[in-house]
Amino acid sequence: MRELQDTVKALFDKGEIDLFIGYEKGTRTPRPFFVHKAEDAENLIFDAACSGNLAVYLTRKDLTGGKKTGISASYYALKSIAQLFDENQLKAENLRIFGVSEEGSVQFFDSVAAIKQHLSATPPPAKPDEDELVGKINAMTASERWKFWSDELSKCFKCYACRAACPMCYCTKCIVEVNRPQWIQPWASTLSNMEWQINRVMHLAGRCSDCGSCGTACPLGIPVHLLTHKMSETVKEHFGVSETKENVLSTFKPDDKENFIH
Amino acid sequence: MSKIGVFVCHCGENISATVDCESVANTASQIEGVAFATDYKYMCSEPGQMRIKDAIREKGLDGVVVAACSPRMHEPTFRKTCAEAGLNPFLCEMSNIREHCSWVHEKSGETTDKAISLVRMLVEKVKRNKPLNPIKVPITKKALVIGGGIAGIQAALDIAGAGQKVILVERDPSIGGHMSQLSETFPTLDCSQCILTPRMVDIAQHPNITLYAYAELEKLEGFIGNFKATIRLKAKSVDHKTCTGCGACMTKCPSKKIPSEFNEGLGMRTAIYTPFPQAVPNKPIIDRVNCRYYTTGKCKVCEKICPTGAIQFDREDEFITEDIGAVVLATGFNVLKPDFFPEYGYGKYADVITGLQFERLASASGPTMGVIRRPSDGKIPQKVVFIACAGSRDPAKGIPYCSKICCMYTAKHAMLYQHKVHEGESYVFYMDIRAGGKNYEEFVRRAIEEDGAHYIRGRVARIYEKDGKMVVKGVDTLLGAQQVEIEADMVVLATAGVANGGAEDLAQKMHVSYDPYKFFAEAHPKLKPVETNTAGIYLCGACQAPKDIPDTVSMASGAAAKVIGLFSNAELTREPTIAVVNRIATHDVSTCVGCFLCETACPYQAIEHEEIKNRNGEVIKTVARVNPGLCQGCGTCVSFCRSKSIDIQGFSNEQMFAEVMSLVAEY
Repeated sequence: MRELQDTVKALFDKGEIDLFIGYEKGTRTPRPFFVHKAEDAENLIFDAACSGNLAVYLTRKDLTGGKKTGISASYYALKSIAQLFDENQLKAENLRIFGVSEEGSVQFFDSVAAIKQHLSATPPPAKPDEDELVGKINAMTASERWKFWSDELSKCFKCYACRAACPMCYCTKCIVEVNRPQWIQPWASTLSNMEWQINRVMHLAGRCSDCGSCGTACPLGIPVHLLTHKMSETVKEHFGVSETKENVLSTFKPDDKENFIH
Repeated sequence: MSKIGVFVCHCGENISATVDCESVANTASQIEGVAFATDYKYMCSEPGQMRIKDAIREKGLDGVVVAACSPRMHEPTFRKTCAEAGLNPFLCEMSNIREHCSWVHEKSGETTDKAISLVRMLVEKVKRNKPLNPIKVPITKKALVIGGGIAGIQAALDIAGAGQKVILVERDPSIGGHMSQLSETFPTLDCSQCILTPRMVDIAQHPNITLYAYAELEKLEGFIGNFKATIRLKAKSVDHKTCTGCGACMTKCPSKKIPSEFNEGLGMRTAIYTPFPQAVPNKPIIDRVNCRYYTTGKCKVCEKICPTGAIQFDREDEFITEDIGAVVLATGFNVLKPDFFPEYGYGKYADVITGLQFERLASASGPTMGVIRRPSDGKIPQKVVFIACAGSRDPAKGIPYCSKICCMYTAKHAMLYQHKVHEGESYVFYMDIRAGGKNYEEFVRRAIEEDGAHYIRGRVARIYEKDGKMVVKGVDTLLGAQQVEIEADMVVLATAGVANGGAEDLAQKMHVSYDPYKFFAEAHPKLKPVETNTAGIYLCGACQAPKDIPDTVSMASGAAAKVIGLFSNAELTREPTIAVVNRIATHDVSTCVGCFLCETACPYQAIEHEEIKNRNGEVIKTVARVNPGLCQGCGTCVSFCRSKSIDIQGFSNEQMFAEVMSLVAEY
């Protein structure tokens, strides 16, 4: 912890960063903390409990626009950062990215390649609670599942916290705001809520880091992150994991499988 | 409020026999925004078109729906009609109530209802149509032909003959390709070199053709009419401007034991060489891998002997760039080196050779001066076994396809052998005889009946050596799978035709798709056989699939015709139904976020990066832009764009949505 605080301080002193995005102690779990000057670095913490995906702030122009930014990134944040680079949303020269190694020491990543290498060597953190819930949902019949999600999504009032929490939802105009044509009905109802979630999940296919921030953000506790989780698993099963700069779903290849066309 | 005109065609009785056209017109006239609706027996006829024109002028229509046949045929007709009446042609659409309705349903009220639904959809679409103008793209009238075999030669000569400039790039030191290696050609047995070399000379002398031999395509950028090709001119080590082609260097070169590629390893060549005496250009190059000077640092005999001082040891590869309007791929094929036939002993036994090697043995200019001598001891073989389908049609060996030419050339080989060795015996093992083609079947029959080649239907299991003979063990399936054993002096394998080396690399450089066997893919197997899926790149000859000389030459002329057709226009006119990225004011709120997933999704490399700058010239953001010359309007990018910032003109999301919703609203 001390190590990160000292590193950040040094970066500020050398003028290498104008902003550091990290965590501070929260009421129950660590919460995001934005360091604007060297002395604030004192409050930074970084441990296994710091699991929220801070990468979401990197594309917020009001926060990071024109600033050299440092970030302490969890496993999932690193995954999101790698994807954001692939989607041309980040500039390496304006970023200082730190992760935490297994031994707890601070690890600096000087390139996207280094992040990708680290990710391929690191197994994703265990998610026992999610696995249990996914197991339950998988065991349901189609009609039970429909009822489960209908019940859950009937609660949604479209606050779009799931979208706000997602690092990959950086579009300046989201599909829900497109009204020519109005693809998704703007009001909150079970059906239109489903329309939104299905669109959200499809838009994240092959891009989602599976961090679960969307579910954590939901004020009504709807487990929307299970939808993206299930989608990520499905993508992995059918397309594998793409190591190079290729989006599994959007990259055209002349020899693409066409076995789904009947 | 729109003023749409709906024109329902009876198509004689093609539509009216099952659809109540009058009722369709009546119902259509009730649709909101429809100002006029009528039906007529033949809408595409002159009086039919007049009705449309009159209605446009009299009612002031701002959109037209013609409910008739497939737009494939008559959309241009009706769009032209509208344009003549002063309406933007892209405000006219066709609703296909023939193929999509009357032809596929019985006469009933439901059939008429379906026709009404189809019309309703198009009315909703046309309400949202915007006037569009065809896209004009300039054309550079110079073609690049890659590959100097008979395919490339024919294509280049045809294009040049039509008065257009051609650049012909050949990888080897001479043009000519595989055809120059052949002895005689089926089914007429005319000498291959005799018919080919005049054309090679034409290439060298044609004022419209620039030949770059010993060169390769390095890079191809751009799009139809506007390519930029970078060509690597490989270092020849001989200045062809001063070289007179006297050949003194070749006679004195001390490295004489290099297997000749042209003679398929059956003859030797020197390190400074021309592949064959009739080569074009007929000036030597130095093979640096085998040259003594390049390998040991000492020699330079050729430099001493050269009367014009043309030898330049320090030359390096040069790169030139050329503006090109169209490309013809004619890179040909190769024959499989049958190493993967351990059972046939190729490479192990000198007297097991490939068909292409046999061509060299039978060729008057070959290493044996046309006398059939077996490689091991130079004796004239008295018994020769030819094995067809060596590799081809063998899924177990990974080549399930038929190489097409082998049946014919094997018959030719047996015939040539019988003509040259009168007492000799020839045996052909075959699976089927595929002799489809003008005079082909007669040719094979002649080999069997007149020249006495013994045809055995069956496969060869194994070849081994015994007392200087090649023992061929196979079966004759026409005699109830009876075992056959032949003690032959020589065995010729009709090895599979495979994609040429480097085909995959080249295809990727040019963004041309290819099949699992690395043969280039045509745009449509029947209707677009000489086009690739990239506009402006055409293909011909055996780079697409193994094929014989007549097919190759016709295909090459076909590809050339496409290029000439393209070049006959001053500008390229393209349909404006292409993708566009929205650019709403102000620039910084234009919704594209520059994720460029559209770039990876685009099969045509049509997505470019565009920098949006502020007044001070600083880049605010980088967004996608569609190159109108490359975009084919497939819409893949549209479906991928999360923020719907990219759309197809004339087939916008809004239009498609309105079409679908018009149906949903009915139910």
